[in-house]
Amino acid sequence: MGALSIRKVKKSYGDTHILKGIDLEIENGQFLILVGPSGCGKSTLLNMIAGLDDITSGEIYIADRLVNNLSPKDRDIAMVFQSYALYPNMTVRRNIAFGLEIRKVPKIEQDEIINRVAKTLQMEHLLDRKPAQLSGGQRQRVAMGRALARNPALFLFDEPLSNLDAKLRVEMRTEIKLLHQRLGTTIVYVTHDQIEAMTLGERIAVMKEGEVRQFGTPQQLYDLPSDLYVAGFIGSPSMNFIPCVLGEADGVGVVTLNNGKEDQLISLGQISDIQRPFVGKPVILGIRPEQLTDPASAHSDHPNMQILTAMVTITEPTGPDTLVTVNINGVKTVARCHPRAAGVPGQSVQLSLDPTKALLFDPVSEKRLA
Amino acid sequence: MTVNSFSFSRFVDVTLPKVVIAPTALACLVGFYGFIGWTAWLSFTNSHMLPHYEWAGFVQYVELFGNDRWWQAMWNLGVFGSLFILICLALGLFTAVLLDQKIRAEGALRTIYLYPMALSFIVTGTAWKWILNPGLGIEKLLHDWGFTGATFDWIINPHYAIYTVVIAGVWQSTGFVMALFLAGLRGIDDSIIKAAQIDGASLPVIYTRIIIPSLRPVFLSVFMILAHIAVKSFDLVMALTGGGPGFATDLPSIFMYQHGFTRGQLGLGAASAMMMLFTAAAVVMPFLYSELMRDRRG
Amino acid sequence: MADSYRQTTQAKLARMGIYAMLFLLALWFLAPLYVMLTTSFKSLDDIRSGNLLSLPQSFSLDAWKTAWDSACTGVECGGMKGYFGNSLKMMIPAVLISTLLGSLNGYVLSMWRFKGSDAFFMALLIGTFLPFQVVILPMAQVLGMLGLENSTGRLVLVHVIYGLQFTTLFFRNYYVTVPSDLVKAARIDGAGFFLFFFKILLPISIPTIMVCLIWQTTQIWNDFLFGVVFSSGDGQPITVALNNLVNTSTGVKQYNVDMAAAIIAALPTLLVYIVGGKFFVRGLTAGAVKG
Repeated sequence: MGALSIRKVKKSYGDTHILKGIDLEIENGQFLILVGPSGCGKSTLLNMIAGLDDITSGEIYIADRLVNNLSPKDRDIAMVFQSYALYPNMTVRRNIAFGLEIRKVPKIEQDEIINRVAKTLQMEHLLDRKPAQLSGGQRQRVAMGRALARNPALFLFDEPLSNLDAKLRVEMRTEIKLLHQRLGTTIVYVTHDQIEAMTLGERIAVMKEGEVRQFGTPQQLYDLPSDLYVAGFIGSPSMNFIPCVLGEADGVGVVTLNNGKEDQLISLGQISDIQRPFVGKPVILGIRPEQLTDPASAHSDHPNMQILTAMVTITEPTGPDTLVTVNINGVKTVARCHPRAAGVPGQSVQLSLDPTKALLFDPVSEKRLA
Repeated sequence: MTVNSFSFSRFVDVTLPKVVIAPTALACLVGFYGFIGWTAWLSFTNSHMLPHYEWAGFVQYVELFGNDRWWQAMWNLGVFGSLFILICLALGLFTAVLLDQKIRAEGALRTIYLYPMALSFIVTGTAWKWILNPGLGIEKLLHDWGFTGATFDWIINPHYAIYTVVIAGVWQSTGFVMALFLAGLRGIDDSIIKAAQIDGASLPVIYTRIIIPSLRPVFLSVFMILAHIAVKSFDLVMALTGGGPGFATDLPSIFMYQHGFTRGQLGLGAASAMMMLFTAAAVVMPFLYSELMRDRRG
Repeated sequence: MADSYRQTTQAKLARMGIYAMLFLLALWFLAPLYVMLTTSFKSLDDIRSGNLLSLPQSFSLDAWKTAWDSACTGVECGGMKGYFGNSLKMMIPAVLISTLLGSLNGYVLSMWRFKGSDAFFMALLIGTFLPFQVVILPMAQVLGMLGLENSTGRLVLVHVIYGLQFTTLFFRNYYVTVPSDLVKAARIDGAGFFLFFFKILLPISIPTIMVCLIWQTTQIWNDFLFGVVFSSGDGQPITVALNNLVNTSTGVKQYNVDMAAAIIAALPTLLVYIVGGKFFVRGLTAGAVKG
């Protein structure tokens, strides 16, 4: 019993293919994120789920109903927009009531719903104001209230926080998450911000150029990205990609990392079957800044923690830690160190690398070598 | 809940807009392009009082191009048009630059400069006809001021009458040009001007070297609109001089009206109308083309 | 020290020069209005003895009465009042219809685009450059074929058809600035084509409606070409009547009556301009910046 099922959905305008075949399933009450850069097709997909855009081929099921040919108002959905899209000439109360009126909901019920929604979102005092008199955050709340009042099977969010300033964005993010926990609604949420995606989503679909590159939980995407694109997209600062040649020593993979002065041999884990054909060939080593740190701070009790030395190019203090940039194999590499162990530009530092977290990628196909 | 593959509301969503715009589309297609084609056809026939639709070749155009009055009218249009456009541009720009200097009564002044645009050209023509009246108008005023030998009978003078049309036309349209230039001036990025001031440029230099060149798009818009007004000019001349004295202020629009409607020369009138269209198009096309090119690049 | 002093006096002189020029320009623009007014209150003797700028010796409203009631416009001698009424009867329906249709068209062209709608808009836009001379011959034929004899009816039809290009332009250019999310939200709420238009779009279109009404009123009231071609006799609008009055010479030229009649013809649009001035300017600049 799935809340939303997208099967082989494609969208093209003549010869331009916006969506090249999307398959996604989520259960009732789940929070799905569609994330990707602009142009990847996430907003188009959302519009098609809503019924605002036609489907070229494929099927969309909402609560087990085929909705391909239903108009938006018959699909039992509600949508919150980036620009809030509040009706400018109506009060907050009428904005929320508008859709209910069209559905011919009795007036008493309308009032009940409006009051309930206003209470949930703490905006009773705003009910008689017009959108122009509200702040950005308040308008966003009203937009959500309008969606809540519909009590639909599916909530759609189209980059709702992009117009808010950074601080407000974080606050509203938490509110949306709380709301989801309390009400157990099924949500499809579009964003280009990977932090929003990771903090809010239960399932994330990372999209690029009309395809879903990976679909999984936030932790899956973080730990085991399927290709270079997903690996670089999730996580900030992004994963380091170091080109090197895969070697082998007693069944264990080794790579040579050059810090500008000398070569250092780093041991990774056991070579898997998928990785074996790449011995002797160029690969890309992916290691997150979080997994490259000063030896004193390294948490892993993996017996084979690898140490490498490098020269500091620049340091960027963030408060809790300092980002140290070094140069490995000719590529800018970022490490997260304890502020006191960061060193200064020109100085040599020791960095500890956790081989269990290191990933290998095929430079040609860009896929992760599992 | 049953699902059908045809949705009535979707059908309505798709066809209703087309239905709504259909009457206008019809009116436009027929009323503009259809009628242009019709007029063109007429211009290739031998119609006089009543329309006949047999093809007669270029007979009307030959007659038109051999018609002295027509050439006089085109000449008048050229003289009037160029003077009108030039003076309006210059005066309008000048006024706009003055008004841009943070003037105290700007609002009131703008209202005064612009009100002539609210008048019909007939009213303007009537007023100026009186002001330029040979015996009782400006001439008499000059006499009463002491310039007893002065004459100002341009309006009945075949050599100078066309300039009276220019005067009246400029009076009516300058305010509009000023409004457009003022809007353009106000839209210029302040920081460019500040940079020039830091570089040491004086105000006149800033205006001539930086501001006016950046008003190029406004110049083009204004030119096009003024040219359009000039080609269409009919009301103003009818009221001011009636096309006279003789044909000294005749214009293609008057030629067309008289031949097409009062003289029973439908074919000739149609041909002259087509020539007016070509003239207007010739002025407007290069502008539209450059705009389209700009859009494609931008 | 002396340099900066000179500069401030230079600056002061320059500013005085600017104000002087602006003032002179204002006089030039106002002069014809002044002349029309004073002439209309003079008697014919005043006119002959005085000059353009002199005030009336004996203030008289006779010219006005004649202009309104009994001035001769060709064959008829009933003054401007009948023609004033004609212009009103023609203008009001034409303005209202073309504005309403323009708003609907603008709505469709901006928010419900379909194949060919953009091309249609371009065609409409190009239409604004046409000199009307190329359409009046066939239009006269068609009106005859339709059997539409009544002058007011003919003028209303013609003004609506040829006004649609501007009204559609105004509304379409405004509606493209309305965020498309608003339409989407309304569609999800269930508002269809007309519900969205009447309940949400029109209420926020008031400024554009004002611009449109004022622009159309001015254009239609001031028109002469359509009036002279498509109407006749008693049904003519006031612009045609004024021209007939001024240019038909029967006996002594009554300049004061001419001026009074001209002011009567000019009053409505002048009033509209004074009251709705800023909308008027918006209409002018919007029409010009259409690009």
